[in-house]
Formats: sequence, structure tokens, C-alpha cells
Amino acid sequence: MTANSREAQLSAAFVKLADTLVTDFDVVDLLHWLVEECTRILDTEAGGLLLVDAVGVLQLIASTSEEAQLVEVLQLAAGEGPCLDCFRTGTAVTVGDMQVNAGKWPKFSAEAIRRGFLSVHATPLRLRGQIIGTMNLFSTHTGELNPADIAVAQALADVATIGILQERTIKSSSIITAQLQHALDSRILIEQAKGVLAATSGMTMNDAFIAIRAYARNHNLTLAKVADGVIARTLDVTTATIGK
Amino acid sequence: MMMVDKSGDPTATRNPAKLDLCQPFLNDLPISGASVTVISSSGAQVALCASDAVAARLDELQFELGEGPQWVATKTGTVVLLPDVSSASHEQWPIFAASMGQLNVGAIFSIPIRMGAVTVGAATLYRDTPGELDEDHQSTALAIASAIASTAVQRAMTFATDDDISESVAVPALRREVHQATGMIMVHLDSTATVAYSRLQGYAFVQGRTVLSVARDVVARTLVFDDLPL
Repeated sequence: MTANSREAQLSAAFVKLADTLVTDFDVVDLLHWLVEECTRILDTEAGGLLLVDAVGVLQLIASTSEEAQLVEVLQLAAGEGPCLDCFRTGTAVTVGDMQVNAGKWPKFSAEAIRRGFLSVHATPLRLRGQIIGTMNLFSTHTGELNPADIAVAQALADVATIGILQERTIKSSSIITAQLQHALDSRILIEQAKGVLAATSGMTMNDAFIAIRAYARNHNLTLAKVADGVIARTLDVTTATIGK
Repeated sequence: MMMVDKSGDPTATRNPAKLDLCQPFLNDLPISGASVTVISSSGAQVALCASDAVAARLDELQFELGEGPQWVATKTGTVVLLPDVSSASHEQWPIFAASMGQLNVGAIFSIPIRMGAVTVGAATLYRDTPGELDEDHQSTALAIASAIASTAVQRAMTFATDDDISESVAVPALRREVHQATGMIMVHLDSTATVAYSRLQGYAFVQGRTVLSVARDVVARTLVFDDLPL
């Protein structure tokens, strides 16, 4: 492969990534595309992306094929091998000949070789000091990636990381802010309802809260819902609690 | 029951739940004081910390008036800089500007607290003398704001969801008495919450008192709004 055609492919890949990131995108589609593109640009036969889950275990997220031979190797890679080493150290690991390194990762090496993969290259997905996963490329021929190849793989992986994080952040921050707003709005309603009860019935704020809570429990309603009814004067929570 | 830390708890530095969210701003920036407030998209506000009485009052004034640089920082997600309060135009917050006259404030900087794409509140920093917050300091302030964002939201959630939490003078949080008083005034005046709150706010403003202290009188039943001349 000539440097020029690789440069062209690479810049096309970056344009596509940049486009993807500004529009509505599906992160799984993006990762599939990334691993396919990397496999092609770096002249390897197969690839897979492992992302760390909430409890710190690598999970297979995307691969160039869903065939058992690749999937099984990738699942093993989460337990031992160059992909896990890359994840742990945060640096790229390139294994030019699996047969030479077989002793280091016996299970993974045996399976990879059995499936016809002779070299493996793992690139970390990095966020500042944190590693969130690895992109792993498999080849049926031997040979290490040279520093230029490693740099290309890392550049593509870095852009993909931005995409993953963007989606995670948007999803998690919108959930958190929705929860926050709900919690604050509910609390304000509850306090106002306590005030309404205190003014209408002469209760203390604490008794007002007890009445609201008892009504909510007895009628299987949320505190905010009951508070809303108290404020609208559509619920009488002062009599409902008697005898219960 | 969860208690608000009010004293020099020896565990404060070890327990992240008790870390002072204002202190990092004071450590790294040329400012006199800081406050941190979480504001939800509906405008509900939770005061989390204030480093001194002036910082606390700047935050409270903005809560009471519903205007001021921290509202703009929260709404726009951008830094609001008033390096010289005395010469600033204040056209976005005229009443706030008029009300902070007695406070010894030379400069105000409101820093949005962003969580991903969403702004969840603001840190308001002040200087007792005029002075700039240069670009490096702005970056530092924004970095501190992002670093405390998730703790700030967690704490605001705790303040909102805990039924028995005690609010202190230093950390008024949701200012629950204001909302309780609003409920009482709704009954006194047979009005909506918006009208009731405006009356509370108006009364405090005219009397030169804080909304919270008037609210406490209402809750203590020493002030009844239907007895007041309109």
C-alpha cells in the first residue's frame, strides 16, 4: 500500500468520523464502521472492539464479522492476551507472530492460531488517564505494525473515543438532569403543600408532612402527586389519615 | 437521617461527601469568596456552599430576585465576567445590581457548572476589589467547575430527596421555609404559588429584608399576609 493512498483513505475516514459526530449517530454503528475502516487501512483481515463495562470487564461491542471464529477469539481476548495487556497498560501492543508468544497467553494464542490469526495488534481507546477499551486487529499473516501504522490506528481510535464519550455523556447527563429537576420540583411542591396545610389546619410543618406521607402511602401515590392535590385543594389529607 | 456538616469535622478531608465545593476555587484563583449553586432547568435552585457572608448574600440575592450573573451563566453555559462591578452596565440584572450596593464587591465572575452538554448550575466568584479573571484563570475555574459537577448534582439530589435533612444558615440549600411560606401565603391570599411568592418577594424587598427571614416569620405565624395592607 502506498503512503498516498493510505493518506487519502485516512483523511476520508476522518471526514466521515467528523460528520458522524456532529449528526445524530448510533455509537454501535460508528464503532462497527471504525473497526472495519481500520482493518482495511492497516491491511489486516479482522478486527473487534472491546469496551470496559460498569464493573471493569471488557465486553465485545463491535467486530468486522459476527462469525464464531472471530467472536470467540475476541471473547477470549477479554480474559488474557495482547488486548487485555493493552487495556491494562494503556499502550499499543503489537504481536507480529502469535506462535512466538504462545507461551505468554496459552489459551488465547492457541485459539487465535487455530482460527488462522498469526498476528494481533491492540490499540487503546484512551480518555486522558483513563482507558475505556481496546481496538484489536487480527491478521492471517505475520508481521508487527510499524510505528506509522500504530499512529494511524491510535488516531482513529482517539476519534472513536470522542464519539463514545459524547454519546455516554449526552445520555447520562440528560438522565441525571431530568432526575435532578424532578427531585427539586417535587421537593418544592411538598414544601408548598406543607405550607398550605399549616395555614388551613394549623398543623406544624412536621405534622403536615406526616399527613402528606400517610396519605401517599395509604393511596399508593407519590409524595409529589399528593402535594399537588393539597396545593390545588382537591385532596383532603387531614381526614384521610384518621384511623389508619 | 442525613446531617449537613456544620463544623470542622475531622473526617471532612477524607470523606468526599463532606468536601467543601467552594474551597477549590479559593485555593487556585485570585478571588475573595465563592458560592456554588445548582439550578435545574425549571429554575429550582439549591445553594450548596458559600465561603463567606458576602458570597452567601450574592447567591441569595440572585435566588430572591431570579436574576443576576449566575442565572445567565447557567442559562447560556458560558462564563459571565464583571471585572469591575462599579462600571458594568448591569442591563441584564438591574435590580440585582441596585441591591448589592451595600456589599463590598469589586468584581463578580459566574462560572457555569457543566455536565456534558448540560449546565447544572453555577459557581459565583467575587473579589472585594475590581480585577480581571484572565484566560488561564477562567480555564482553571471551568476545570474546577466540571470536576465538582457530579458531586454538586448528587448533593443537590440529597437535599431535595431527604425528608428530614437539616438546612443550616451557611448552607440554606433549597430554602425550604421560602416554599413553605409560599404555601401558607397561597392560603392567606387564596392565590396561586406564583402570586404568593411574588408577594413574599415584594414584601421582603420593600422592607429591606431577606426573603428567607420574612418566610421564617410567616412559618412562625408572626406575619400573616391577609392582615397586610395591599
